[in-house]
Amino acid sequence: MNKLYIFLKYFFIVVWTVFVVAPFLWALTTSFKDFQSVNGGVTYIPWVDFEPNLEGWKVLVKSPAKGGVDIIEPYFNSLFVTCTASLISIILGTLSAYALSRYTFKAGFVKNNDITFFFISQRIMPPIVLSIPFFLFLSSINLLDSLTGLIVVYIVLLMPIAVWIMVDFFNKVPREIDETALIDGCNPYQAFLKVVLPNSIPGLIVAGMFCIIFGWIDFFFAFILTFTEVQLLPVKIVALNSSVTPWWSLSASALVSVAPLIIVAFIVERYLSKGNLSGAIK
Amino acid sequence: MAKIDLSNISHSYNPNDPNPVYALNPFSMTWENGNRYAILGPSGCGKTTMLNIVSGLVRPSAGRILFDNKDVTDLKTEDRNIAQVFQFPVIYNTMTVYENLAFPLKCRDFSKSKTDERVNSVAETLNLKSFLNSPARKLTADQKQLISLGRGLVREDVAAVLMDEPLTVIDPDLKFRLRRNLKEINEQYKTTLVYVTHDQNEAMTFADNIIVMSEGEVVQTGSPKELFERPNTTFVGYFIGSPAMNLFESEASSNDSVKINNTLIKTHTNLSNLKTKKIKLGIRSEFIKIAQNQNENLVDVNVEKVEDLGNYKLITAKLGDFTIKSKVTRDTEIPNSKVKLHIPADRCCVYEDNKLI
Repeated sequence: MNKLYIFLKYFFIVVWTVFVVAPFLWALTTSFKDFQSVNGGVTYIPWVDFEPNLEGWKVLVKSPAKGGVDIIEPYFNSLFVTCTASLISIILGTLSAYALSRYTFKAGFVKNNDITFFFISQRIMPPIVLSIPFFLFLSSINLLDSLTGLIVVYIVLLMPIAVWIMVDFFNKVPREIDETALIDGCNPYQAFLKVVLPNSIPGLIVAGMFCIIFGWIDFFFAFILTFTEVQLLPVKIVALNSSVTPWWSLSASALVSVAPLIIVAFIVERYLSKGNLSGAIK
Repeated sequence: MAKIDLSNISHSYNPNDPNPVYALNPFSMTWENGNRYAILGPSGCGKTTMLNIVSGLVRPSAGRILFDNKDVTDLKTEDRNIAQVFQFPVIYNTMTVYENLAFPLKCRDFSKSKTDERVNSVAETLNLKSFLNSPARKLTADQKQLISLGRGLVREDVAAVLMDEPLTVIDPDLKFRLRRNLKEINEQYKTTLVYVTHDQNEAMTFADNIIVMSEGEVVQTGSPKELFERPNTTFVGYFIGSPAMNLFESEASSNDSVKINNTLIKTHTNLSNLKTKKIKLGIRSEFIKIAQNQNENLVDVNVEKVEDLGNYKLITAKLGDFTIKSKVTRDTEIPNSKVKLHIPADRCCVYEDNKLI
């Protein structure tokens, strides 16, 4: 019984691992292939099944003038837009979440929970609903096809995530912590900055992670709100496609684009597993 | 360190309602500098609201609060220089024990050497010295509560230290020691201590003044002895003391005596100004003894059971329809089921409308 359990456990773990890792391995091998090795039947093992070459990778960094696609600029655009928008969203979101968690707002029948839900409802709406308003809005303030415009739009998209996560988190941080800080002589701002915020680092990390992921992977808004001046990575990768699909450079760019998220995941996992989520009062 | 005056304070959590429910009915009270006070009452009677009003976390719907005759009603919590310890330990998770204890001083820009000196002295008192450099979140629940307590005691000049059932999470042995420590701290530093509890023993052993509350009302303020011997209301008589005060519903039959089950009981209370004849007679079990050679205030009872509770015996007996309890010394012989009990006239409290006459 016990042995069977262990066997099944490891069996499913192995199956799952293969399921998750195989596409990465596939992309990795494909990125070193040329036209012949991709289209000439199934091949897996470099040097045995096919002769690896670096063409797929070289194309990514070559300038278009030399026949390359140069994803370096879009890459840094994406990094800049995602990080800036996430940072601003986290700051604004955390402040709003703290207010929503600690103070009572009332405007007619609208109360704290309704305001929180309003934020979340922005994410329930299908993004396509927002495409035309955003387009017209950005064009009216001359921010179409610019990094600033994208950052503005991404803040709108990411802030609800931050608010949602942080309201939940602050609600779990007992009010007595704030009250104790006040009694100990902090003013409300100091109480927030010195006491509540340091206690909320795990929440901030989770919120930050979600913001970065959702900002980084967005294709839709990056696609409709930019043309030639600026390009973000997801758009650039899709643009790689042509009449002859360059599977090798597509694979290479896919791997490059997923790398930051993997790094973030490793850092965050380590932080969260330290058990810092445990409460301050018991 | 300050004298705290609460004048005509009342509080409602829904003051704008046409029929507001009062968590605290209007009352006035003065807490003298350097005394130990206990606020005693059942859960939900407004004890915590009262503390929060003093510390400024709650603004009272009406009334003024004065610290040393200075009106602080509109002063923010952080400017009142007060310390409050909550029922459950509140610690700053991200700081070490030292930083936790030093936090109130840091917020008020104390010098490093002064902070060091105070933190070390408080840590010494609370047995936290060996933990000073460990992260506060690693400590056990009762050690965390000691930190909360320590943060309250670290400032010497606080107006008062308010404690809201602070020893709930602490085991009995340490509780006893801490209560003594608090007393010592109070005697040494002359800090005003206010201690909220629903445990009468805790209140009696800790405080020199007890404030008894019930349903948002301050029903009696006094020393443990006063509360025990002359409860102001039947509630206090019932709530304080174990067993509760004996209470007999009866009628006044003359200017100073009461009839219980056809026996006249003399009291030292003038009963000539009663509105109705309906009264309650209250007497502590501790004062009722088996009759020796007295010749008045004697009642014949049927003993129902005698419990030996270690240091005393508790007699439960029937007096007509009434149950009467008497605490006697352990070596008292209880002859048989019929006993004569003596009710001393000077210990009788007479209540009209549940209020002491």
